[in-house]
Amino acid sequence: MNGINMFDHLEQFGLRIARLGVWCGGAMMIVAAFIIGTEVVLRKLFLITLGGADEMANYALAISTVWALSFALLQRAHIRVDVIYAHLPKPVSALLDILSLVSLLIFAGTLSWYGVGVWQTSWDFGATANTPLATPLWIPQGLWVMGLIGFSFTVLLLLSRSLQALLGRDFDKINEIAGTITIDEELKEELEAVERAEKVHLKNTRDSKVEVA
Amino acid sequence: MLVSTLGVLMGLLALAIPVAATLALLALVLNYSYSFMPLHMAIGEIAWSTSTEFLLVAIPLFVLLGELLLRTGIAERMYRSMSYWLTWLPGGLMHCNVGASALFAATSGSSVATAATIGTLAEPQIKAQKYNERLFLGTLASGGTLGILIPPSINIIIYGALTDTSIPDLYMAGILPGLALAGLFMLTVLIACLLRRDWDGEKVSVSWSTRMNGLVDLLPPFFIFFVVIGSIYLGWATPTESAALGVIAALALAAGYKRLNVTMLKEAVEGAMRTTAMIMLIIIAAYFLNFVLSGIGLTSQLTEFITSLGLSSFETLLAVILFYVVLGFFMETLTLMITTVPIIAPLIIAQGYDPVWFGILLMLLIETALVTPPIGLNLYVVQGIRKGGPINDVIIGSIPFVIAMFVMIGFLIAFPDIAMYLPEAMRD
Repeated sequence: MNGINMFDHLEQFGLRIARLGVWCGGAMMIVAAFIIGTEVVLRKLFLITLGGADEMANYALAISTVWALSFALLQRAHIRVDVIYAHLPKPVSALLDILSLVSLLIFAGTLSWYGVGVWQTSWDFGATANTPLATPLWIPQGLWVMGLIGFSFTVLLLLSRSLQALLGRDFDKINEIAGTITIDEELKEELEAVERAEKVHLKNTRDSKVEVA
Repeated sequence: MLVSTLGVLMGLLALAIPVAATLALLALVLNYSYSFMPLHMAIGEIAWSTSTEFLLVAIPLFVLLGELLLRTGIAERMYRSMSYWLTWLPGGLMHCNVGASALFAATSGSSVATAATIGTLAEPQIKAQKYNERLFLGTLASGGTLGILIPPSINIIIYGALTDTSIPDLYMAGILPGLALAGLFMLTVLIACLLRRDWDGEKVSVSWSTRMNGLVDLLPPFFIFFVVIGSIYLGWATPTESAALGVIAALALAAGYKRLNVTMLKEAVEGAMRTTAMIMLIIIAAYFLNFVLSGIGLTSQLTEFITSLGLSSFETLLAVILFYVVLGFFMETLTLMITTVPIIAPLIIAQGYDPVWFGILLMLLIETALVTPPIGLNLYVVQGIRKGGPINDVIIGSIPFVIAMFVMIGFLIAFPDIAMYLPEAMRD
């Protein structure tokens, strides 16, 4: 039982880190939006070119994407074609879930390995971006590689947990960790957001009516 | 080589291996089996250069724009206001479903988001105003597909990135076909309800003052549309820059409606980054796969194979359309696009078709894929909104609109100017 707790603790911990990564990445994108927007306005209205906004936004994209990979995995957001999968008995689909994680691990591992290579090259040669900012590339690439490695570890963690569940023949658990997300589950979140917005709106209209009355 | 590649691809997808991993594994296998050079070593460089492409920055920004708008509540105001104007027509609110979808599509880059948003607002009215349930659901599922045709559109950005086609041109090219298709949907509803009066709902009388007062609620979506698309049309901003302006405008709107707070931002960001990570991982894998495919000469082998068939350019086009219609039944659309476009688009362009025009044709084909069973995402989205009832209702209700889509595809082939007029006007 201790083992199970350890993995579940790790998963909880991983989710917290992943969420933090998503927020940071999202904040980066919002900041990038403001920098890009400012640059457009300055360029159009005052004919001033700051330069560098696009480069910063590019780094923000690379970094925020990989930092969000683990979160997407933990929320089972990566697309899988489940035409056949959905009709399989649980033990078989559980095996496919594990196979999925293995294949993701190969992809993530290869990406991380050669990603580190990219970073290493920049570091060794002190490479800078071919732009006015001349950003030392090891900085954004380092943050990027960290995200890739983090993603690989998340895949590894889920794989270990699934294999453990497989030993205990706990197929439901495997599905819960690595199964495809059903459209219902996916929709629920989006619909809840719409409903919340609607509720607030109704409340506001009611409030304003009360004021008028 | 061609057959085994397709076999591995279909096999891995059928085993429900995540699409991104499927593409990467396929690339690794092909590299191992057919390449004399260690192409896999380039994966790091490819991933880095793909992830730092300025054009692709538009993807998280447009997704974020959608997530923010979803939470500002402009959609329900817009829907209500539009219903005041359209409810007197035979077909009533069903016209409103199409119109509201088209207008929402003009602020959102996703078909699913469009169908989910408008669907949630409209669905309760089926019972309340006694509409024919199937046709009503059909307008929601099909109206939602306008999201990828009317700019901004995330799918168009992906197409543009994969084929090196100008996104501003593509965006302008999508506007008229998008409006025409919305018009065809409305015509479909009109004809259906004139033939079968009982499919129509109860009429609600609306005073002119209510109509006029409601107009103000149509302004926010138009505002977003003009910021995003207007800035591209005037040449003030690139697509990515316009997406950034759109995000700022959406934040301002949210603040104006007093919806802007930390919780809302966190939710929007989580949703947006999750989608972005998912899309970007597939794109990175696809770029790597394309690199390997051309490295081992498979792309040229395929082109030679097609040329050897000796089809005329029009026959090739029909074959490609058939290919997408058939695959559209079974494949999720993002996957379908990313796996096929790098190979199919060059074939079609080599036959003398305009890449912008083909991009729009492809969007129409993807729209049909979104509402054809068994795998039609919008069908499931609309079904998910209902409280019970068989999914066949949604599928059958969508059939008239699928026909309308094919009519539109026919129009686009017969009159390419429907798509090409605005991009050419923009350049002048």
